[in-house]
Amino acid sequence: MNRKTKEIFIKYIFFVFALVAIIVLAMIVFSLFREGLPIFRQVSVKDFLFGMEWYPTYDPPDFGIFPLIIGSFIVTIMATLIAVPLGVLAAIYISEIAPRSIKEVLKSVIELLAGLPSVVLGFFGMVVIAPILQNVFDLPTGLNIVNASMILALMAIPTISSISEDALYAVPQEFKEASYALGATKFETIAKVILPAALSGVTTAVMLGMARAIGETMVVLMVAGGAAAIPESIFDSVRPMPASIAAEMGETPYRSLHYHALFATGMVLFFLTLTFNLIADYVSNKFKQTGSATL
Amino acid sequence: MDANIIIKLKNVNFYYGENRALTDITMNYQKNKVTALIGPSGCGKSTLLRLLNRMNDLIDGTRVEGEILYEDKNIYSPDLDPVEVRRKIGMVFQKPNPFPKTIYNNIAYGPKLNKVSSANLDELVEQSLKQAVLWDEVKDILNQSAMNLSGGQQQRLCIARALAMKPDILLMDEPTSALDPISTAKIEELVEELKKVYTIIIVTHNMQQAARISDETAFFYLGNLIEYNKTDKIFTKPDVKQTEDYITGRFG
Repeated sequence: MNRKTKEIFIKYIFFVFALVAIIVLAMIVFSLFREGLPIFRQVSVKDFLFGMEWYPTYDPPDFGIFPLIIGSFIVTIMATLIAVPLGVLAAIYISEIAPRSIKEVLKSVIELLAGLPSVVLGFFGMVVIAPILQNVFDLPTGLNIVNASMILALMAIPTISSISEDALYAVPQEFKEASYALGATKFETIAKVILPAALSGVTTAVMLGMARAIGETMVVLMVAGGAAAIPESIFDSVRPMPASIAAEMGETPYRSLHYHALFATGMVLFFLTLTFNLIADYVSNKFKQTGSATL
Repeated sequence: MDANIIIKLKNVNFYYGENRALTDITMNYQKNKVTALIGPSGCGKSTLLRLLNRMNDLIDGTRVEGEILYEDKNIYSPDLDPVEVRRKIGMVFQKPNPFPKTIYNNIAYGPKLNKVSSANLDELVEQSLKQAVLWDEVKDILNQSAMNLSGGQQQRLCIARALAMKPDILLMDEPTSALDPISTAKIEELVEELKKVYTIIIVTHNMQQAARISDETAFFYLGNLIEYNKTDKIFTKPDVKQTEDYITGRFG
């Protein structure tokens, strides 16, 4: 084989490997739709998305996933409210304030948090957080929205903090110098120059953190409580979509209505995470820092 | 004579970690004059400039010895806040570095830190841009991003931004090295105007520029102040052979 054909050969090998990921993704999406869409022959899209009753094993069954959607949203939003300040402030501390030694330690610890298996975090929520919540607030169960939000926040913090930190780090040194030279303090510089310049990156980080939280299964299965009803307080139990799918899929007969309904729930989840990712992508491209002063 | 001196350096040494970047510098800067600092790369001229508004504080592991007196106070004394120093001694950098904000907000940034009321702010923005001879070019686009301006305009914006703080002294670190000849000429004209009101200390790589715009010139080599005198004198009959060699292009 001469050198040129070898080059071409190698090029195609790499192309095939790159293709594998795309093909697998396409197949997953295809089977998700193939198994999910049949439910809509029995239940209208509107009744499915906005139906208040999720009684898949009753006779006749009810397939309204609105309580599950609400459950997913409420734990995701509350987790975001907890994780964004913590993650972004940690990123600011690591990138702008911490001395080098503390910075290295903190970064490793946050990476370690990202590496914890979700079942371990779920276990922590079950045996540590739940009893505390139950006793302090005198609740029937500690497995509820607050608990799930706290654990999901723990999972989203590493994503938010490490991507935010990259964005803050990428703010050109020239901006900081310009600010200091005008007599700004360190905190004025962070608040008025560095953070605004890194805003698109920080927003991307938040969106990806939310995508992480809404798709997370094990934690919500273990600590959200599992009640498929619209919650009335943040101490109520909920049943987010991933928890419902994971809990029920093993029990349902192959290609039954319930089976198709769970796949359709998976489709809804797929569209939600896709939306978060697309928004993150859009924000990071649209508001991309066009470099420092270009000539 | 002494009343005309605005900054005095007494036996200043400066270290980056263990490396001494400036050795025993003693010199005075004249009020309302343009002083040029020249010398080959690595001679310490930019380091010296950044000492005067404590910008070197931002670099870890640096150390200053000696005294830098501004209005008879050592700007490195522990009870003086570097933030106060930087509000009186403004700086323009080598590469134009406007903030990714509107033109208006670039100028207003410094004054807002000083809590200038917004009524006075409009006036101050206009006045600063006029001083930097940029007003006519940008008066209709004050709310557009400063990033859309040309390099030369950006640099004049940075000068206007520094002037909005109403400093006593303007430090310029090779302000035209990233600019085209026409923009450079505009900045040089501007410096001529500004010295009526401000004291200007400018680092430059370009000896013709030093000769054109400065009243005093200091030549540095390897962290030492080799010669400091009237610009005419330095460029016509310098006292030290090294200065002559540098100016005539024999090295550097």
